[in-house]
Amino acid sequence: MLRNHFKIAWRNLVKNKGLSIINIIGLALGMAVVILIGLWINDEVTYNQNHENYDRIAHVLLNRTANGETRTRTPIPFPLGEEIRKKYGDSFDYVVMSSFHGDNILSIDNKSLSMYGGFMEPDALRMLSLKMMYGDWGGLKKPNSVVISQSTAKAFFDDINPIGKFIKVNNLLNVVVTGVYQDIPFNARFHGLEFIAPWELYVTSHDWVRYARDNNLWDNNSYQLFVQIADGTDMTLVNAKIKDAIYNNLPDYSRSHPELVLHPMKDWHLRSNWKNGVNIGGFIQYVWLFGVIGLFVLLLACINFMNLSTAQSEKRAKEVGVLKSIGSSKRQLINQFLSESFLVVVLAFILAVNLVFLAIPAFNQLADKQIIFPYKNMLFWLINVGFILVTSIIAGSYPAFYLSSFRPVKVLKGTFKAGKMAMTFRKTLVIVQFTVSVILVIGTIVVKKQIDHSKNRPIGYEKNRLVMIEKVTEDYEGKYNTLRSELLNSGAIAEMSESSSPLTDVWSSGGGFEWEGKDPNFLTNIVTVCVSHDYGNTVGWDLVEGRDFSRTFSTDSTAFILNEAAVKYMGIKNPIGKTIRWNNQEHQVIGVVKNILAESPFEPVKQAVYMIKYNNTNWIELKLNPYKSANESLAAVKTVFNKYIPNVPFEYQFVGDAFAKKFVAEERIRKLSTVFTFFAIFISCLGLFGLTSFIVEQRTKEIGIRKVVGASVFTLWKLLSKDFIMLIALAIIIAVPLAYYGATHWLNNYEYRTEISWKVFAISGIGAVAMTLLTVSLQAIKIARANPIKSLKIE
Amino acid sequence: MLLQIKDLFKWVNSGGNRIFLLNDIELTVNEGDFISIMGPSGSGKTTLLNVIGMLDDFNEGEYSFLHEPVHKLKEKHRANLYKEYIGFVFQSYHLIDELTVYENIETPLLYKNYKSSERKSLVADMLDRFNIVGKKDLFPTQLSGGQQQIVGIARALISNPKLILADEPTGNLNSKQGEEIMNLFKQLNDEGVTIIQVTHSEKNATYGSRIINLLDGRIINTV
Repeated sequence: MLRNHFKIAWRNLVKNKGLSIINIIGLALGMAVVILIGLWINDEVTYNQNHENYDRIAHVLLNRTANGETRTRTPIPFPLGEEIRKKYGDSFDYVVMSSFHGDNILSIDNKSLSMYGGFMEPDALRMLSLKMMYGDWGGLKKPNSVVISQSTAKAFFDDINPIGKFIKVNNLLNVVVTGVYQDIPFNARFHGLEFIAPWELYVTSHDWVRYARDNNLWDNNSYQLFVQIADGTDMTLVNAKIKDAIYNNLPDYSRSHPELVLHPMKDWHLRSNWKNGVNIGGFIQYVWLFGVIGLFVLLLACINFMNLSTAQSEKRAKEVGVLKSIGSSKRQLINQFLSESFLVVVLAFILAVNLVFLAIPAFNQLADKQIIFPYKNMLFWLINVGFILVTSIIAGSYPAFYLSSFRPVKVLKGTFKAGKMAMTFRKTLVIVQFTVSVILVIGTIVVKKQIDHSKNRPIGYEKNRLVMIEKVTEDYEGKYNTLRSELLNSGAIAEMSESSSPLTDVWSSGGGFEWEGKDPNFLTNIVTVCVSHDYGNTVGWDLVEGRDFSRTFSTDSTAFILNEAAVKYMGIKNPIGKTIRWNNQEHQVIGVVKNILAESPFEPVKQAVYMIKYNNTNWIELKLNPYKSANESLAAVKTVFNKYIPNVPFEYQFVGDAFAKKFVAEERIRKLSTVFTFFAIFISCLGLFGLTSFIVEQRTKEIGIRKVVGASVFTLWKLLSKDFIMLIALAIIIAVPLAYYGATHWLNNYEYRTEISWKVFAISGIGAVAMTLLTVSLQAIKIARANPIKSLKIE
Repeated sequence: MLLQIKDLFKWVNSGGNRIFLLNDIELTVNEGDFISIMGPSGSGKTTLLNVIGMLDDFNEGEYSFLHEPVHKLKEKHRANLYKEYIGFVFQSYHLIDELTVYENIETPLLYKNYKSSERKSLVADMLDRFNIVGKKDLFPTQLSGGQQQIVGIARALISNPKLILADEPTGNLNSKQGEEIMNLFKQLNDEGVTIIQVTHSEKNATYGSRIINLLDGRIINTV
């Protein structure tokens, strides 16, 4: 019997080749999208799960309050690690102080490479359960040791066992390799960590860190702290216990009230946003969003399948009538139709798996992932078997029950007509599909507009031909003037400067500013940037008032240049010549510049002061010679750098590239939503196509009659399209307020945001109508051109 | 002379054999004729009617309608020709179920771009002429077969055609209704409308002035 079912099912598929292909492709696309989204979600939620104790590891963050607003930040003070170990040690397995990770220069003999890494306390290896290839988790116990990743080991020592070899860190510290760990997987916070050096080494080799240790500096936040809570303890309770660990040591800080927050490792990736000291989620919202979209796409695809198969109901009705009259039971008929849908779903699944397999590289690029098709994973296939069964039941049940319930006599006499219900059902479906599509289209346009809007925002400096170089080691110290004059002489650059923060970030900010007319209760927090005299000329900032720093005024060593935001923040009128007190020193304001956009392009620029300070700079900025090619200039710059700083590999980045990275997350959302929108539109059109074929089939006779009594092809096309336009208009009317609400909600994430203009809705609406006409016309024109005697003959 | 058909052939190819649907048809129809086409099932009656109605094409031969060479005309021109001069009546009425009696009769006028007021008066005349004013707001399914066929004829006549083509107009009706319809045709013919009908019934055929007997696509005799 079953074999017979499949035989008939197969013949039916082959007989209606066109429809079967559309059906299978539609369903396969839906399934492929769902599988891809499933793999993506799996990747997102398994972030950091490579660490065995990932549910007990936490990052210790610090909440501080100023002027009624609480901010959550990563840096914590030096003595905190020891304090927690001493006073709350029972609650923790490991307490690991760490430096901020960044690029450092590692070298052997004559090879030196820039490597991403940092300094951590010895328990780090055990806490992160790194998979050691050589050495063990005790590798960081000796202060002059280093543990390196597999790829670092390969870069320096090829495939030989590097244990016991010497490496120089930042051209200063000679350390011995005591361990090699396997590279940390891509979907982990610590991915790309190329070496870990002992914390002890960090302390002894950096004066300012040593100073912090020796003077027990509780109010200097420059380090990170990772912990693993003890087995059987509760993260919330432990958090409550330690939350005042800093405040207890800084009783004077009652106004900013420092409070510790444990950020569990499982939340690092998906819940990383904080507002007023409370976690408010983060990327998880997109995981949910895309999850829902995925399910929706599948549902739409399934419903389309039902639609297309019931659209054929009148043709199939005769078969049902014959089968029933020769004694088939309703049950057998249901089985027949379910077998048919099962066959289609299996074919679609095979196609979908192939599509996914082909699409994964592109998808990985799009979503910045390293997802591998899990063909070896039994669970994956098991889930898919379930997936096939569920899909074939969802997709097949309606046609099965609908078709099998036909009354044979009625059907055979030819008086059968699909009911009004079926029609309403289909129409509702098309409305739903188009509503979703229009919402997605509007959403995608809004995301694009928001990105463009922020990209076109004034940034306060000229990023063209601007290059920045991080001074990763001490080798750069004291060489500013030599480098600058040599580079200027070579003609490679137009100007050079140094600064404490990169142009695309803020590295330090602080309080303690006083000025005339300031409310004494106001807690200040202002970005501070130390620069060389030539900073303004190099980056091309825009002076609004006053003058730039100048070597001709020796008093400029204590002068301030404010940005416009700072003038507004301080509420000073006519700021030039005014005095600001900071760190027990008087600073005269000599100039005001337009805001330089350093942090998020979606937020207002923070108040900032610029001051001259040559011994506290971390970055070099170079304005390349505009009359030479960038490559030529960079080659010349490299020669000069290699001459004066021979021990550090010359690495640079264009400020423009660094700036563009600020849009990576939004760009990714835009690309993903573009892809999903495309699928939604495609599937909606398929749904529409299904409805059209159904309606056209129902109206074949009517159209024949109309043609015989004189209707032209154009009139018939209009007649058929009109109804659909009404449906789509309805979908647009439903979609617009929903999309407006959603887009406004999304834009509220950003302080600096675009306006939603009516044009967005108009464009989406017109697009939807055009797609509709195109889809409907495919069939409408065909039927309108058909010879009426054919449609009238079939009785 | 209304139309003239000369040496007309229509065939289909089936498995290497050429099967003639119409074979060497010669036919002249004058204005005011009432012709009945008769013959057994599959003899080509409906095909001939469709060819005359320009709904179907043919493979060889000449067909002129009001001195226009139909076989040389473009699709659009041909459509205009039959829209203007020919009305169709079908065995199963072929009314549009979704439209009322009034709207069904009005439809051809819509496709000829008549003004609203003209349409109103023409439809009103027609309803009056066939005594169905009281039924104008009913839907086809609410009418008996005979009444539906009357609506079908009214629709065929609304645009004042020179020729009515009727494919077994009484085939779905009982004898009394059939007689009514045939009397109606007779009356129309007397008023000057040319009628060509396909029929199985000897009795109905007698209403006409001429009978054409078809067998296997060939005219075997004309009475």
